[in-house]
Amino acid sequence: MSFPGVLDIDWNVMAPAVALLITAIAALVFGLSSRDSRGPAAVALLGVLTAAIFTVAHLFSGNEGAASFGLRYLGDVPATALTLVILVGTAIAILVSWDQLERGGMGQPEYYPLMVLSALGAVVMASAGDLITLILGLEIMSLPAYALSAWRTRDRQSEEAGMKYFLLGAFGSAMLIYGTALLYGASGSFVYGAVAASLTGGGLTLLATAGGALVLAGLGFKAALAPFHQWAPDVYTGAPTVVVTFMSVVIKVGAFAALLRIAATVFPALQPWLLTALAIIVALTLVVGNLTALMQRGVKRMLAYSSVAHAGYLGLALLAANHGGVAAAAFYLSVYALMNAGAFAVLTLVMDASDQGDDLERFAGLGRTRPGLAAAMAVFMLSLGGIPLLGGFTGKVLVFQAAIDAGYVWLAVLGIATSVVALFYYFRVIAYMYFRESSHAPHTFRSAPARVAIVVALAGTVLLGILPGWWHTLLSVGPRFLAGN
Amino acid sequence: MTAVLTILVPLVTAALVLLLRGSTLLTRLVAMAGAVATLVLAVLLPGSRPFSAEWLPGLGVSFSVDGNGAASVLVFAVALMMIPALLVALTRVEKGAAGFAALLLAAEAGLAGIFMARDLIVFYVFWEATLVPGLLLLGLYGGEKRREATAKYLVYAVTGSFFMLVGILALKTLSGAASFDVIDLMLVTPDLPVATQTWLFIGLAVGMAVKLPIWPLHSWLVDLNEQNHPSGAADVLGSLYKVGAFGFFAWGIPLLPAGALRVGPILLALAAVTALYGAFGAIGSTHLKRFLAYGSLSHMGIIGVGIFGMHLAGLNGAMYFLAAQMVSTGGLFLVGGMLYHRRRTFDLRDYGGLAKSAPALAALGLLVIFAFIGVPGLSNFPGEFMSLMGAFQNAPWPAAVATLAVIAAGVYGVNLYQRVFQGDGEAPVKDLDALEMYVLLPVVVGVLWFGVMAAPQLRRIEAQSQLTTLQLERVATPPMPGETLSLGGAK
Repeated sequence: MSFPGVLDIDWNVMAPAVALLITAIAALVFGLSSRDSRGPAAVALLGVLTAAIFTVAHLFSGNEGAASFGLRYLGDVPATALTLVILVGTAIAILVSWDQLERGGMGQPEYYPLMVLSALGAVVMASAGDLITLILGLEIMSLPAYALSAWRTRDRQSEEAGMKYFLLGAFGSAMLIYGTALLYGASGSFVYGAVAASLTGGGLTLLATAGGALVLAGLGFKAALAPFHQWAPDVYTGAPTVVVTFMSVVIKVGAFAALLRIAATVFPALQPWLLTALAIIVALTLVVGNLTALMQRGVKRMLAYSSVAHAGYLGLALLAANHGGVAAAAFYLSVYALMNAGAFAVLTLVMDASDQGDDLERFAGLGRTRPGLAAAMAVFMLSLGGIPLLGGFTGKVLVFQAAIDAGYVWLAVLGIATSVVALFYYFRVIAYMYFRESSHAPHTFRSAPARVAIVVALAGTVLLGILPGWWHTLLSVGPRFLAGN
Repeated sequence: MTAVLTILVPLVTAALVLLLRGSTLLTRLVAMAGAVATLVLAVLLPGSRPFSAEWLPGLGVSFSVDGNGAASVLVFAVALMMIPALLVALTRVEKGAAGFAALLLAAEAGLAGIFMARDLIVFYVFWEATLVPGLLLLGLYGGEKRREATAKYLVYAVTGSFFMLVGILALKTLSGAASFDVIDLMLVTPDLPVATQTWLFIGLAVGMAVKLPIWPLHSWLVDLNEQNHPSGAADVLGSLYKVGAFGFFAWGIPLLPAGALRVGPILLALAAVTALYGAFGAIGSTHLKRFLAYGSLSHMGIIGVGIFGMHLAGLNGAMYFLAAQMVSTGGLFLVGGMLYHRRRTFDLRDYGGLAKSAPALAALGLLVIFAFIGVPGLSNFPGEFMSLMGAFQNAPWPAAVATLAVIAAGVYGVNLYQRVFQGDGEAPVKDLDALEMYVLLPVVVGVLWFGVMAAPQLRRIEAQSQLTTLQLERVATPPMPGETLSLGGAK
């Protein structure tokens, strides 16, 4: 099949990304002239919502085959749906940051433009149909995120987090680029579908598989799969909590969106040991993430390791990418974005202005002093732990079922066994909030935008738990990715 | 729709009660109205139409509930006991009574869902979700060591049910069933190879055995009951939430009959041990709540013997006993709460002679104790008798061991009455007040109803038990090649 001309641009597909780009520039220009960071926040929020409207319009237009630049920028259901998830996550992060930046003395005007740019990169990654677009997206996403991690200037921990993230992130990018070069060398193409097509008949599969392994490692860094996860807990602990709210959701969705597409198209054409390696990586991620999360006393660090653990559950879907794993992973990412961002949003309200004090003890008695906040946190914890009638449970069931269907029963068993551990450390937060008396002064900081963010996250988590059918059906449209083959 | 409403009404009531939390009289009225409405719906369940709606079509899950069969009896028992439990919760819980009532109502909805689900995933959803109110009741309102008890309960229940989840998900993939609907599954799962069925059954059995509960997975129950709120209202829920036997009856055995036949004898032996162990535990207890926990553990052992005997009469009896013991055990916990209200202790050694100053309490206490130990004419007798009788047909030895527990029950039951109500206690106590009369009224009605009116309810259970025995027969006598031929020749 011949590829369409290079300059075929479907503006319906491009609209969300273009909207984000314009938003970033507008927020930056606006920020230069405003004293308060809330002005740029409003501009950024407006832009993200506009992009979300474009995304929803395209998602329901039924035009699943749309693409731009000769299948290098895709608008299929997974790309569009995950774009929406990224936008929702970004909107929540903006709302959470709204009052916190001023409270923590971090109100420099570049914050929101950088955040929107990073989200743009994640959107490009989710929509990428070839490896060059993927690299572009990855860099657009990562560079602002490095700066944001070090946002608390004159704070050693935050600076260290930014530096560490930058160094390890650059390492990950280098691996991705090297892997891309090898894949191109073996197949003579960058477009996923063409890479797979040229390798299916044989050819330089060892070279290509080595390239695939490097791509996996590079994206594994961003997705925080063990053993490439080591940056995550340190960066999450050091970076401002509002930034972690953004990173733990948007960057993970971007990385997994790219990984899913490559796992569904390119990996089946490579040598099978790559999938075995991936299975081992997933098993390791599940065990390391959950067991280390169990040992944490700080809630922020616990959530950091728990996000590693969730990468493991998503990894199960990655292995089953051609057995319903794509829809399962997209569903899981949708719920994960909501419940994880929600948990971090609550955390920002509990911690000090200087981002200190995330001990479990700080949550003691929250059920009495801030009943609404505690109830929301309880729902997020139960959902993260996979208790039914909340979205996290549906996501887990979908992911486990996909893994079992794909023949990875042992990994599903391991995943479920580690879920028991996970429920224990999530429930510990609830136990502290409700079963203990507070020994601290009650938390007084309140923020209306953050409350909106928590309510949105809460509503989404509950809705996807009680009525999961419509969203999963929507995600299941089309048997496989539009991959350009 | 009746079946769906039986789940929705308590759930919506729970939400309302939480929202109203401020005004106490209105809260109480709303909570009681919701509970009464649920009881009315539960009475209407037999003959109601099944309900089914798409829930997660991509996975083959539909929200299917059916209030017929054993569910009609069990949901009735739950709804009946929720009324005295709520009455006690709304009057005897000093702080956060509204929250307590809301959790009880939420648990009622979950229990109704467990019993009525006709889709395996929906069953699991309710099974797991019902854990949360139980945990919160214990953790929020429990005694001094509530945190340890909560952690123990959480670990046991969640470990068990996650194993169950693996089994459930693998069940559909391996059998190639069209959906998680009970009929779709039952058609194909018995054809799975025996080894596969055995492994899957073990997976399901771990989760169900914890909630039966069966020795040696029982210890969460004793701590849960000991540490729960002293009013006994939360223990009513605890005695309702021993749903493992129902899981085996409605899902485990009919879905995986070959696996059940291979693993069943082990479980049968464990159940017999549980019956005896519980009885001796009760005899040796001096703490009233631990006493009751062990006594009910002994009952659960007998129920297990009835289930794993895998005989029609035993299955019928076990389900009937499960429903009946909800009333008698729950009622006894409420009596225990009334005793605590008077003396502020659960230590049986501090009691004695209460019959002199509180004759009505003693009389009703004796009635419920008699029901608890299985005196004929009262609630526990028909089910207990049938459970053991059924088991004797297929497995006389374990049944004989379990029967010893019935004899022991006579000892510890009479012993309990003597220790509390007879003898020469000094301090006089108040007799039953009007509220406590109202609390015990549904208990007395239930104890008599389940004791006398067994036949119609057993018929409804049997409609479902027959499915289970049919599935067992399907694998017990595989059609031999040539078998039909020789039979034809003999004619």
